[in-house]
Formats: sequence, structure tokens, C-alpha cells
Amino acid sequence: MLEALKGIKEAHLEAKKIIEEATAQAEKIKKEAEQKAIRVYEEAYNAVISKAEQEAIEIKRKAAEEAKFELEKLLSHAEEQAKEIEAKAIKNFEKAVDAVLNMLLQPRDE
Amino acid sequence: MMESLRLITEMILQEAKESAEHIIQEAQNSAESMLEKQRQLGVQRANELASSILKKAESEAEVIKLSIIADAKMKAKWTILSKKEQWITKVLNETKNKLRILTQSKEYTPILEKLITDAGIVLGGGELELLLNDHDSTLPIKLDKLARKISEKIRFETKLSLSKEKTKVIGGAIVRTINGKFVMDNTFDDILRRREKEIRHKIAKILFE
Repeated sequence: MLEALKGIKEAHLEAKKIIEEATAQAEKIKKEAEQKAIRVYEEAYNAVISKAEQEAIEIKRKAAEEAKFELEKLLSHAEEQAKEIEAKAIKNFEKAVDAVLNMLLQPRDE
Repeated sequence: MMESLRLITEMILQEAKESAEHIIQEAQNSAESMLEKQRQLGVQRANELASSILKKAESEAEVIKLSIIADAKMKAKWTILSKKEQWITKVLNETKNKLRILTQSKEYTPILEKLITDAGIVLGGGELELLLNDHDSTLPIKLDKLARKISEKIRFETKLSLSKEKTKVIGGAIVRTINGKFVMDNTFDDILRRREKEIRHKIAKILFE
């Protein structure tokens, strides 16, 4: 009988040890998680910000690209207009010179 | 008896092991849950800033776009205006060349006489002094005749004398009262200057329309 009680007591001690070890391991898991939590927060935060910053760069790049396309169109149109102006000017050059001479040689009409 | 004892101890140890597993599992679940909450918190806080980053980028993109387009419009306008200006200047230069040629021709003398007479009339006659350039000073201009013409026109006695002072102009004349108080500049250079706006407008109209 005494032998039996001794066996049970030993089993209880062993069980207590198992629980204590498990509790210690659980504490360790919690502490490690707490330490990891800051990193997890920062990583998640930085990932979102980094993605947003990339999107921001892309938005601005796209806007500049669209505007440059518009710019080229406007400048090309202006070049065409300048060519037309030149063609007209070449054609009417002498007529304009004569008109100015007439204006200058008729001072009373000022 | 021994068998019962063995069963009891096994049961005690089995229960302890199950409890231990449960404790560890709970800790792991709690840790995972906390990490997930932290991750979500990070994402949530970052989303607030990300939203403002994107809003700012949209606004900056609009400014970039407007600025590039405004710059392009200005360049386009400048391209056209500079081309027009280039041709207006060419016409003015050619006009000056033709005026220089004209001053060397026989047709010039009556034109110069008219410029002198007109200036004298504007000044209201009286004692007047005439300033010409080196070349025009050598032309056979009859000042008495011109003075008479002015006198007849304004019915006021007029005298015209040639100044020793010479002008550096293409052609035309400067007439001033003898006291120098009133001056009428009828040189081509000054007529071009004072009628510049009108002349440029006329050139543009003829050249580009």
C-alpha cells in the first residue's frame, strides 16, 4: 500500500514537472511573439507604404508621359503652323515691303 | 493491485501531457493571434498614410501635367510668334535697304523736299533750321523755295537754313525752330520708330493673311 502511494506521488511530481515545463515553454512562445510583434507591425506598415510610394511614382510618371505626348502634339502643330506662316510670308514679302515704303513716303497720312 | 497502480500513474501522466499540450497550443494560438492583430494594425495605420500619399501624388501629377502642357502651349506660341517676328524684321530690314537705295536715286530729292516742307508746316513756320545727313546735305535743295511753300501754306513768314550739325540717319530731315524749342523729326528712321506699331500691324496683315 505504501509502495502504491509512493508510486502515485511520483507520478504527480512527474505530472507537475510536465505542466511547469509546458508553462515555461508557453511563456517563451508569448515573449518571442511580443518581440516579433514590433517587427511584424513594421514590416506590414512598410510594405503598404512602399507599395503606395511606388504607385505615387507611377501616377506621376504616367501623368508626365501623357503630358509629354500632348506637348509633342502641340509643338508639332506649331511647327506646321510656322511652316504655313513662312510660306505665306515668302509669297507676300515684296508686297509688304512696298506697302511699308508707301506708308513712309506719305507722311501726311500719319 | 500493481496493475491498478500502473493505470493510475499512467492516467496522471497522460492528463498532465494533455494539459501541457493544451497550454502550449493556447500559447501558440495567442501568439499567432497577436501577430496577426499587429500585422493588421500595421496595414491599417499604413493605409491611412498611403491614402494621403496617393492623394498627394494625384494632385502633384495634375500639377505636373498642367505645367508641361502650359509650357508646351507657351513654346508653341513662341514658335509661331518668333517666326512671324522673324519675317516682320526681314520686311523692315528690306524696307530700310530700299530706302537707302532710294536716297541715292533722282526720285529722292522731291521726297526729301516734301518731308522738309511738311515738317516746316507742322512747326508753324518762322525761323527754322534744317538738319540732314552727310549725303543729303550735298543734294541741290532750294531752301528758299521750300520756305516760300511753307509760308504760303500757313501764311506766316518762314526762313529755312541748313545746320552744320549732321544727322546719322538713312534719310529724311529734322527741322527745328532756331531757338531749338520745337523739333519735327521727319527722318525715315524716326517715322519708322513712331509709326512702328502701325507699320508692324500692316506688315503682319499683308504677310500672314
